[in-house]
Amino acid sequence: MTGALDRGVDAAAYAARANPVAKLAVGLSIAVAMVLSLDPVTAGTALLLEVVALPWCGLSPVALARRSWVALVAALAAGVGTALFGSGDPQAAAAVTARILAVTLPGVVLLATTDPTDLADALAQVLRLPHRFVLAALAATRLLGVLSDEWAVLGLARRARGLGGGGPLGRLRDHLGRILALLVVAVRRATVLATAMEARGFGAATRRTWARPSRLHPSDAVVAGYGLLVAVAATAAGVAAGTWHLVLT
Amino acid sequence: MTRSSGWPGAVGVAARGWGWRYATRRAWAVRGVDLDVAPGERVLLLGSSGSGKSTLLAGLAGLLDPGEGADDGTGEEEGSLHLDGVPARVARRRAVAGGAARTGLLLQDPLAQTVLARCGDDVAFGLENHAVPTVEIWPRVEAAMRGVAFPYPTAHPTDQLSGGERQRLALAGVIALRPGLLLLDEPSAMLDEPGTRMLREQVAAVLAATGATCVLVEHRLAGWIDLVDRVVVLDRTGGIAADGPPVTVFAAHGAALAAGGVWVPGHEPWRGAGPPRTPPATAPPGDGEMLLQARGLTATRRARARAGLPPVVAGIDVTVAAGRALCVLGDNGTGKSTLALTLAGLERPVAGEVVAGPRLAAGLRSPSPHRWRPRELVSRIGTVFQDPEHQIVATTVAAEIAVGPRRAGVPAADVEARVEELLGRMRLEHVARANPFTLSGGEQRRLSVAAVLAARPRVLVLDEPTFGQDARTWDALVALLRELIAAGHGVVAVTHDAPLAGVLGDAVLRLGSEHPDRGREEPRVGAA
Amino acid sequence: MSTTVPGRRAGAPRLSAVHLAALAAGVLAGLLVWRIGLPDVHVWDTTLTALTVPTALTVGAGAGVVVIAVTSHRAWRVVDMTVAAVLAVAGGLFLWGMNAAWLPLTTPIGKVYPPLPALLNGVWILPGVLTGLIVRKPGAALFGETVAGAVEALTGGLWGFTSLYYGIVEGLGVELVFALLLYRRYGPVAAMAAGAGGGVALSVLDLTFYFTDYPAGQKLAYVLLSVLSCIVIAGLGGWALARALAATGALAPLSSGRAAQRV
Repeated sequence: MTGALDRGVDAAAYAARANPVAKLAVGLSIAVAMVLSLDPVTAGTALLLEVVALPWCGLSPVALARRSWVALVAALAAGVGTALFGSGDPQAAAAVTARILAVTLPGVVLLATTDPTDLADALAQVLRLPHRFVLAALAATRLLGVLSDEWAVLGLARRARGLGGGGPLGRLRDHLGRILALLVVAVRRATVLATAMEARGFGAATRRTWARPSRLHPSDAVVAGYGLLVAVAATAAGVAAGTWHLVLT
Repeated sequence: MTRSSGWPGAVGVAARGWGWRYATRRAWAVRGVDLDVAPGERVLLLGSSGSGKSTLLAGLAGLLDPGEGADDGTGEEEGSLHLDGVPARVARRRAVAGGAARTGLLLQDPLAQTVLARCGDDVAFGLENHAVPTVEIWPRVEAAMRGVAFPYPTAHPTDQLSGGERQRLALAGVIALRPGLLLLDEPSAMLDEPGTRMLREQVAAVLAATGATCVLVEHRLAGWIDLVDRVVVLDRTGGIAADGPPVTVFAAHGAALAAGGVWVPGHEPWRGAGPPRTPPATAPPGDGEMLLQARGLTATRRARARAGLPPVVAGIDVTVAAGRALCVLGDNGTGKSTLALTLAGLERPVAGEVVAGPRLAAGLRSPSPHRWRPRELVSRIGTVFQDPEHQIVATTVAAEIAVGPRRAGVPAADVEARVEELLGRMRLEHVARANPFTLSGGEQRRLSVAAVLAARPRVLVLDEPTFGQDARTWDALVALLRELIAAGHGVVAVTHDAPLAGVLGDAVLRLGSEHPDRGREEPRVGAA
Repeated sequence: MSTTVPGRRAGAPRLSAVHLAALAAGVLAGLLVWRIGLPDVHVWDTTLTALTVPTALTVGAGAGVVVIAVTSHRAWRVVDMTVAAVLAVAGGLFLWGMNAAWLPLTTPIGKVYPPLPALLNGVWILPGVLTGLIVRKPGAALFGETVAGAVEALTGGLWGFTSLYYGIVEGLGVELVFALLLYRRYGPVAAMAAGAGGGVALSVLDLTFYFTDYPAGQKLAYVLLSVLSCIVIAGLGGWALARALAATGALAPLSSGRAAQRV
């Protein structure tokens, strides 16, 4: 979770530089369009328009693949599944695959190009979400890097105690024990973190200043506008092609 | 660092019959404290574990809140605790509103007290909470980082810092707020020797430059003693047991404090441990027999390998023999733990091999421990992890000890007998039915060793077994390990505790202090 | 651990003025939305009024939660926030893991009977129920489920940002139950009810957006199976997990740990 900005990511790219709130708006607008209709033209158009904008997002193809493989695999599996076992309609299969890709891509780009700290700053300052909750969540994301290391150590420790192996039921039990141990460590850490934060004045006053002011710039309107454009254009294309169909009815 | 004109004066402390009880506890954490600390005074606070030192520091920091209703607060308070004539809690609130802290608190666990992902942001966090104007924040952040000689720029990611560096960063975050009272709660308990030394120097510099009052809690006193001009000992039953200049207090109470687990200079447990272990007159069973051998071993952690980082240790040749101890020394980040985990059959070697001796591997398909099944491993090589909590797998202490032998296929009646014996031997009978997570640090350490010994492994691998332990537990561990060695076990102890190696070591393997990848520490943990 | 709250708050929550006010506010808000209806705007060939009922339910539940939360006077401490946040983020990673396992798990059983995969739906509600049970503050379940959904979306989950919308609505479903119990009941029954609340929210969303073509019988089966799953996996499972955590003493600084016996 931490150190989100790494190899293959150009943080200075036009869309990567935008205020995180603008990138969030892109994802939310596209998600609305994708949830309203399931058809190949709408989803395909959205995906196409997203891919067209990729060069401005600062993600190299390798970085993109590394970060979106779960969605990629799932999208293909869902498409193949629909084609082979579902309706058997290739159009429906294409729609399923394109929709999963179109709806996940903005999230992948947002996460890859946005430092969690900047996202929290923007949520608290631009969207004015309650800053205590936003900052607590931010601090928690930092603990997760620590926890993923501990998850590995817990696995080794359980092997050393003679656990593991055995059937699927035994493995499930073993995993539950490991999850519990991890939660104990996580909650302990969160408790100490709370003390450390309070000792530095957190939560005592309602007023607070910001070392990193987060503001909206005209370019943010361009980025957010493009997201809206993708949503509207995709829907319009679907309607024009006659494939658009509101799932609600 | 020069005394800033903006630095408010040192803070005076006055406690009158002060006490605190946590809402979940029947007993008072601390009670009947009458204490005056003059502005600028530096006090070392001592007491056996459970005497309420940390609670007193939290109280001074204004963090304990009895709340308004029976169900609302986190505990119950009696007496009074004042900073410059104002209740500590009120002092904290006023300070936050006024933009400059009265107190600064540094905690024990380096991993848990870093708040943000970038060093500069982490130092700025307190200033933001105190509503310091944005234009003043960054100059003060940079001054504070210079003040602790922090070696990295503000944009440096905090997750790449070592424990010692994290503590110095936390110290920078504290002094950026210009507190008149510095509260240090075992700040070096989880650091290695170089990290401790560096932190101590920075604390000394900060105190000299600011003239702030300081209250310090620390178990390992060496080095810190020169910083303080007064020692206060809390009594476990309430009130204050001793108070005075260090020389006087240690002369009168040194032996008693040491017996209570405090690391008093001149009373360290190894002074009573006799000479370093020499081969005994009667050779232990199977003496010198090869149990485990590493040949040209290169090792790394799975997480590191996945991240594309180079292995931490390479080209290791070492033998673990029956009736012998092997101590692996080196500072944090030299790959000691990685080596231990690989020897113990938990991580797979990157290159080279680890092979078990014919007797240890008898009846198994492979001589390589990392290929053994968990139930085969547990009765042959036992591993004691640095943080006992990582090993806990059961819901009671007795069940925890029974896990290993049961997995190894020992008959139920024998398991019962082993549990009884180890509970007694490790002084754990009184907590036999307690949840292992609720035990104290020393009890957890003893439990982790008992749980591993229960499966009777011939080889025992211990990762920092004495880390953060008080002097009493240290002494007990050393006695037990010597006994195991005499009984023909092979012991591998990974440690940065030089005295431990001194009293145990037949063979010492020292890993280079050159950090192969500086900063990235091993996932090392230890909630106290 | 004793699961009832000790001391002066013992006893079953009675129907009080707060309940009535919340109920009134919820019904009023819901009715208002329902009466006015979403604009009869024809988005090409369909009218948005089709969304009126889910929207009215959401707004009504939200209004009720807000009234009870505001009147319950249970302020969040910093430790509540950090623990809730850690649980929520960990929950989000758990959901992300479920994303990877979802299609392989559900595709085969969906072939047996289409609504059958709903039997696994409980996992989606778990973060909200767990956070609510452990932190015990107004909004904890909503916060937990929303942040978990956001983390799922941001880590490249299958459903992208729709996970965030789902998180909010599911969180509201769980939160509503804890609110109706006036944030005083956290036993196994309360946990199961909270799971059921989340299950209803989840199945309404799924039926509205994904399974519109199911015949009425399958729709009903989908709702029942989802609610059952949420009661067992999220409700009972969450309660058992919270209890195991409390037994370790790690929750001592929180209200859920204080409700445990003094040691």
